[in-house]
Amino acid sequence: MTSTGTPAEASDNSLLRVEGLSYDYAGMGAVEDCTLDIPRGGIAALIGGNGAGKSTSVKMIAGALRPRSGRVSFDGHDITGMPAHQIVDRGLALVPEGRLVFQHLSVHENLLLAGHVARARTACKQNIERVFDLFPRLRERRQQNAGSLSGGEQQMLAIGRGLMTMPRLLILDEPSLGLSPILVGSIFSLVKRLNEDGISVLLVEQNVHQTLAIADYAYVLEKGRIVQQGEGRRLLDDPKVKEAYLGLA
Amino acid sequence: MFLFLQTTLNGLVLGGLYSLAAVGFSLIFGVLGIVNLTHGIFVVAGAFGALVLYNEFGLDPLLAMLPVGIVLFAVGYIYQRTVIHWAISRASLVASLVVTFGVAMIGRNLMQLTFGPDAHSITPSYSFSSLTFGPLQIDVVRVVALGASLVLLLLLALVLAKTHFGRAVRATAQQPLAAELSGLNVQRLHGLTFGISAALAGASGAIIGIVQPFTPASEVAWTLNAFIVVVLGGIGSPAGALVGGILLGLINAYTAQYIGPSLTQAAMFLVLVLMLLLRPNGLLGNAFGESR
Repeated sequence: MTSTGTPAEASDNSLLRVEGLSYDYAGMGAVEDCTLDIPRGGIAALIGGNGAGKSTSVKMIAGALRPRSGRVSFDGHDITGMPAHQIVDRGLALVPEGRLVFQHLSVHENLLLAGHVARARTACKQNIERVFDLFPRLRERRQQNAGSLSGGEQQMLAIGRGLMTMPRLLILDEPSLGLSPILVGSIFSLVKRLNEDGISVLLVEQNVHQTLAIADYAYVLEKGRIVQQGEGRRLLDDPKVKEAYLGLA
Repeated sequence: MFLFLQTTLNGLVLGGLYSLAAVGFSLIFGVLGIVNLTHGIFVVAGAFGALVLYNEFGLDPLLAMLPVGIVLFAVGYIYQRTVIHWAISRASLVASLVVTFGVAMIGRNLMQLTFGPDAHSITPSYSFSSLTFGPLQIDVVRVVALGASLVLLLLLALVLAKTHFGRAVRATAQQPLAAELSGLNVQRLHGLTFGISAALAGASGAIIGIVQPFTPASEVAWTLNAFIVVVLGGIGSPAGALVGGILLGLINAYTAQYIGPSLTQAAMFLVLVLMLLLRPNGLLGNAFGESR
């Protein structure tokens, strides 16, 4: 899946199109004119430092925030301003920053709840088994409260919860945040594996090096604006990206 | 010894009613983070609803719990989806305090306009019969009231623990953003939570009507009782409401019996203050855990 056209020539292959999305926090521009084109089947990335507007952007895409202006279309349908629970049911799942698992629900209940969306309801049982196959640790802890899990396990649960809705596009917001290097590595190989299983992925990360290494196409967000974009490998060699994000002059 | 047992029994019965009357207040506080000062209106409206149904159609107050509950469910749902939602989305969570207080005043005055300020009570045929256990004596209505309260609380606990709806309510209380992202319609769940809470308050009102006299102004006391029950027992769970309600019932009964009936309010507030000092989360804590 390396054949990604430039977003300017958005084609039929586009799964998610975001045009001119803007958002204000208390009158301050948080995101300005964000335009993305995420093709079917690939891994796209949105990178940038703290406070660049990455989370705000994906929250708008997923319907958790209402944009000031702009348009979001998913699979050819306009979903701008649609409530988040309806967007999930169209096959766009956001695994939010900070995991946000339901701490006082058991692991099993966390999964059951998300598996109840209309599009995935009939396959709920199989999906739980699939998540448990993917994360055997969660199977061991299925009756425990999610709050008692370690950070890495909570991240697995958050991703598992997203997968229960059988997404076509999975947006992961900083899945590697606060995890040990070994766990970070396993999260990135998981992203590749999910992608090979046919799920398109938008990866939002500060962990720029590893993200660009697996992303087909990436966008760089700075102070709420897209300042650069290109194929992941190419951005990795870009001097400006190197300087700003990789600590290499 | 006999007096002590009789007082305890009375306190338990009273406590069961307090629990049922307060559980909705507790649920709304836990799930939406709103201190609903209209809660007492739901209780007293339930009592007046049962009174009207009894006087006009001879419907037994215990059966009246169903129609009264259904009507109040609808009222609670619509109330949240309109007035409460507007207040919160346009101002803040704190605004709901002012708005619910205002609506409570409107409600109280409307009831006074309709039914007058006098005390009413519902007196079905079994009002004056009583059961005796050895030396102990208890009114049939009180046994029935306690039984009905416990059944409804148990039902609510089961729904919250075992059904998809219950899981959805708990998840929404803990993590509204993640709940929405997991496909739950949080707005609707908030409305339903309000509806269920109002329905249970109304049902408790129908029972309260046969146990004690009530006036439109009683709503203040029932809101206050609900508040104290939550402080004593903890937020959000039927079990917490039961513990808090029974504690409040016992405090009331013992104070009235051994210290003086005029001092029950003072005792209630004393315990309230102590509780806030010693265990501010209530005996069972917040069922939904997350801090608000």
